[in-house]
Amino acid sequence: MLNTFKDIVRKSSIHVCLVNCGGCNGCDIEIVALLSPRYDLEQYGIYVHNNPREADVILITGAVTEQWIKKIKRIYSKAPEPKVVACVGNCPLSGDVFNQEGGNVHAPVSDFICVDAEISGCPPRPSEILEAILTVAPGAIASRGREANGKNKKNQVTGGK
Amino acid sequence: MILPIGPIHPGLKEPLRLKLQTQGEKVLKAEIDYGYVHRGIERIMEGKTWQKCIYLAERVCGICSYEHTQTFAETIEKISNVRAPSRAQFLRTITNELDRIQSHLLANSTYFKAMEHETLFMYLLSVREHIMDAIELLTGNRVNMGWNVVGGVRMDAKQVHLDAILEKLKDVEKDLDRYVQIFEQGHLVGLRSKDVGVMTRDEALKGRAVGPIGRASGLKHDLREQHHTYRENFEFKPIWRKEGDNFARTMNRFDEIPQSIDLVRQAINNLPDGDIRTKVEIGSGYVEWRNEAPRGEVVYMAETNGNLIKHISIRTPSIMNIDSCAKYMLKDVATVADAVATYATADPCIACAERVAIIDVDKGETSKDIFDLK
Ligand code: SF4
Repeated sequence: MLNTFKDIVRKSSIHVCLVNCGGCNGCDIEIVALLSPRYDLEQYGIYVHNNPREADVILITGAVTEQWIKKIKRIYSKAPEPKVVACVGNCPLSGDVFNQEGGNVHAPVSDFICVDAEISGCPPRPSEILEAILTVAPGAIASRGREANGKNKKNQVTGGK
Repeated sequence: MILPIGPIHPGLKEPLRLKLQTQGEKVLKAEIDYGYVHRGIERIMEGKTWQKCIYLAERVCGICSYEHTQTFAETIEKISNVRAPSRAQFLRTITNELDRIQSHLLANSTYFKAMEHETLFMYLLSVREHIMDAIELLTGNRVNMGWNVVGGVRMDAKQVHLDAILEKLKDVEKDLDRYVQIFEQGHLVGLRSKDVGVMTRDEALKGRAVGPIGRASGLKHDLREQHHTYRENFEFKPIWRKEGDNFARTMNRFDEIPQSIDLVRQAINNLPDGDIRTKVEIGSGYVEWRNEAPRGEVVYMAETNGNLIKHISIRTPSIMNIDSCAKYMLKDVATVADAVATYATADPCIACAERVAIIDVDKGETSKDIFDLK
């Protein structure tokens, strides 16, 4: 009973933490543009406040740089359990243009943490980011709440490189 | 007490660590740790042709991505001794000024967010969307436009698009006047920003502040004055202020928006006919080229060897501005909340700033203070 109740509440209040682990900030400003009245993120009950300890959804932008290798795992483990990780942009998926000889990036991000949604584009349009959060977040958060400790092992920190 | 802020913090969009030395609520000193987004762009560019590098130049910074491609293209053009055709120069000016408007709006809205004035934050973001539409109409993309090439621009603009942009600018002007007044004459917002985070002219000189941050402290320096396109075709005068506080910095950016709108209008109304791209034989040599990005001066120093880029070094304005913010603006700010707001007025763009990271292999850690500045 309590769990059902929690699920309902969680579905309509999603807290987002934005982590830029080393890209150009193109994707970040598209996420900021989501806050604008045209897209109005908050009407869906999504709130961006950049605090990993309260986050339900972690949005990752940028191709993991040297400094972030350890920190990205730490931030992931700080977020409370029913959590969803969405990668925004090509950077966390493949390293984009930075993943060449001479570059100092360690993409993809899925080498370090478990990723639920991937949004490609450099940068993706705000509407695409919004769509991705809305598609993946409410369902995943609700169904994962109870399973996280037992069945659903997918959500745990993977070993890393 | 040392109060660390960041790298992930509600007030900051980008990763950076701000260490505030505080006594009670008062901030005595501030220190900044960089190095979270160093990607090694300059190193990747070495030994490649310009066609591969111009994408990388665009991704130095997402907010002022346009100016980086323009500066890169102009650097290579200068090495090869050609100039883009005048229609291309005008089109570049239009895009450049539109990009400047959206960047200034974003910077000011971030400041309002940092000082908890959500209304203005939302208003400015909604105005910014008009400009983003205009940019998308002209170039096809919102952020990384891929619009410049060495020798000109990639696509021609049609008259319908230019007319639509003029319409949008009218909308922007109408709304913006009111929002500027809210800020300029509102007692609360004014009190929160006047005489906070003051940087005098001397300090700005010492901290090498550039762009609107330097101009708000009385450094009358705008590289657009020296740029050949602006010098030959447009009427332009830099805007500057004397006070050097948060209010002046924000107002300086607000004042530059109508000026940019005016420049876009001048460019659209006098747009010459002709080619948009010339053929360029890439020469060899070394050139240093400066341009005024939304945040100040950006310098590209490039050495080419026939078709390939031998060495390139990029200096972006953010590094100087963040430095002078840490050294002079944040010194003696009354409260920690004001310190975050002051930091936001310096318009920090971390992705620009990360050119070098020195890694101590023995200890396995990134050096915090390269030149022993402490
Ligand atoms: S995906 Fe593209 S726009 Fe996004 S951070 Fe990476 S380089 Fe920038």
